[in-house]
Amino acid sequence: MTRLTSIIRRELDALWRSPWQLALVSYIPLLCILCLWWLFSAGLPRQLPVAVVDQDNSQLSRMLTRNLVANPVITPQSFTNLPSAVTAMKQADVYAIIVLPYDLKRDLVTGRSPTIDIRYNSQFLLVGKLLSSQIQLTLGAGLLEVAGVKQLLQGVPKSQVAVNLSPVTSQTTALFNRNNNYVGFLVPPVLVALWQLLAMLTFANGLSRELTPEGLLIPGEGVWLRVIAKVAVYTPLLLLQGGFILTFLYQYLALPAAGSLALLVLAQVVMLLAVWLLVLLVFFIMRDSARMVSFGTALFAPAFAFMGITFPVHEMPMLAQWWRLIMPSSHYIDSHVSVISYGSGWETVAGQLTSYWGFLLIIPLLILLARRFELASTSNEERS
Amino acid sequence: MTFWQLILTELKAIVADKAIAVTLFGGVLFYSVLYPLPYLHQVPTEQQLVVVDLDHSSLSRRLIRHADASAKIDVIGQVTSITQAQSWIESGRAHGLLVIPEGFRRDLLLGKGVTLSYGGDASYFLIYSAVAEGLVSAGMDAGKQVQLIGMLAKGEAPKKAALSLNAVKINSIPAFNPSLGYTPYVVPGLFLLILHQTLLIGTGILGAGQWRRKGYWQNISPLKIVCGRISAFMLIYLFFSSFYVGFCFYWYQVSVQASLGLVALWMLPFLLATSAAGIAMSTLFIRRDLPTQVLLLVSMPIMFVSGFVWPLALIPEPLIWVSQLIPAVPAIMGMIELNQMGAAWSSVLPKWLQLWGLFGVFSLLAVYGVSKRLQQSSASQS
Repeated sequence: MTRLTSIIRRELDALWRSPWQLALVSYIPLLCILCLWWLFSAGLPRQLPVAVVDQDNSQLSRMLTRNLVANPVITPQSFTNLPSAVTAMKQADVYAIIVLPYDLKRDLVTGRSPTIDIRYNSQFLLVGKLLSSQIQLTLGAGLLEVAGVKQLLQGVPKSQVAVNLSPVTSQTTALFNRNNNYVGFLVPPVLVALWQLLAMLTFANGLSRELTPEGLLIPGEGVWLRVIAKVAVYTPLLLLQGGFILTFLYQYLALPAAGSLALLVLAQVVMLLAVWLLVLLVFFIMRDSARMVSFGTALFAPAFAFMGITFPVHEMPMLAQWWRLIMPSSHYIDSHVSVISYGSGWETVAGQLTSYWGFLLIIPLLILLARRFELASTSNEERS
Repeated sequence: MTFWQLILTELKAIVADKAIAVTLFGGVLFYSVLYPLPYLHQVPTEQQLVVVDLDHSSLSRRLIRHADASAKIDVIGQVTSITQAQSWIESGRAHGLLVIPEGFRRDLLLGKGVTLSYGGDASYFLIYSAVAEGLVSAGMDAGKQVQLIGMLAKGEAPKKAALSLNAVKINSIPAFNPSLGYTPYVVPGLFLLILHQTLLIGTGILGAGQWRRKGYWQNISPLKIVCGRISAFMLIYLFFSSFYVGFCFYWYQVSVQASLGLVALWMLPFLLATSAAGIAMSTLFIRRDLPTQVLLLVSMPIMFVSGFVWPLALIPEPLIWVSQLIPAVPAIMGMIELNQMGAAWSSVLPKWLQLWGLFGVFSLLAVYGVSKRLQQSSASQS
């Protein structure tokens, strides 16, 4: 036991004397977390520029444009001709074009059915889809108003007009993320992906300090004692960062959280242990700091795409679904969503934690690799 | 050493270094498969939906069939209460719910308005938008059908009735990425970013490993080193870029609008500026494992600040100003405008000139940094 505490003390001492490692556990996570949050801090796409080409210039087309102005998502910009609007869209100055056609009002009054053309920029999928639905809703509402006036003129009682126009109204509710805020939807998984990278890097750096330039173990205590010391040092430090993410999002920014954050801390502990196992595996195989980091990067850099937040998991190809299981962050994010959104209790979370079972298979492999590693190192020592 | 010999020596040094070779050759190939892998099925379709039918009428059943027929929705079952539906969603069996209120059919026939409630799990953005789109259109269809029945019952001519229901057609069509696919949306920007990051890492590791050791780099003028190194990496990235911007764009069905010449003309200052930036940055490091770590941590912020995932209009101004110094940021936006959206060369020209400017600045910094490093190492050796 005293041996272990002395190794832990040495580990802490080494951490204190390594500026980069110290930065990785202190100010770099803070900077990265705050920077990524700031990027998305607008939260909701608002006031997106949209080109309006009004070829009709009638009372009706102006009314529709005013309706567009009233929509907080849209900032209509008036263009006198179509080519200039197309150019603006190609330069990403506007995200959609609405063409109110010539004779829109006359066609409507005379009973022909005119067409309003909308082109939205789907190269920017997120903005494009949002604008398409918002523009359709806004124009649809505006046109209903016109139709309503027409019915009133025909003598339909006012109470009946609304029902005649749209007998079925729909009420769409976003469950669990009420106002569709992107800070609530995008920032947590982004930060979890970042946190996983930080964990991988700190642990990899900690381990590579035990290596000689030839990729052998620096003489001293057995390899497992050192690994345990590192786990004991880095788990609490990384949990502090994970805790900071949770506190920042759900306490300081007060994003809605249905369940208990303590459960998420538990889930974070398990995720960290899984990350440690993976990094250890890479360490025993690579035994070189630069290659370890390269390999860890290749493994964890795309973690965000595989979490299934932006793109549903069950729509991914099988291979992607398998690859997803290798990454601890994808296991964690399931617990995160269920606790934050659905307010799941400890039974659900405990059930989800069992999905990590595959990581246990790494342990016997590690024992095998560690023995070979130690043998190689001691035989090398004897030779020299 | 002639310039050609220098390039050859540089190429040998790159290939001989396992860490660089893995990052460059392995990484570029690996990422070209791995990053788009989750999105291969492109458009989320057939989201599982659970229905709470409190009406049990012919019309409500018809509405459910309509919803099921929509490409975006798959009705997987019916439950009797909203709480039960919620528990289906929480356990991940369903991603949305539809509530048909009691008296749905009766109220409609009596001419009273009814309200359908839809809910989608907004924890997952694409799922939510797919459920909402599918249900809104199914609901509108059902509404129109009821209206039509009502009008016909009142003795209106079918043609006139249909016309007054669709007084104005709204025709909303996606431009540039007509299939609304996820890979054509992500791939163009992402792949330029991968080229950018691997190039920075490659130059970074190479430099960081060299400055304190002896070798061919010490007997050559810093300017020549920088030129030789840029040329060597440009040769390698000529192939990588052709693979990414050529083959991969084709493979992932990214719409391509610009001519080959223009794309090449665009890539030139991007790769030059990136290699120069990488060499300049490498002079800050003497540990070989550090460049990868630093670049790994900044790659997510760079991706989100470059404007193809999250709209530039929503990013705080100071972040945008700072990001203009990163070659990938103007390069990605300009490339998307030029090649995916078909903008004219004149409209992307400012960004092109900006890339040349960055090339100039980073080259100067690279030459300065390399000469500093070489002075240090020769001072420590003498």
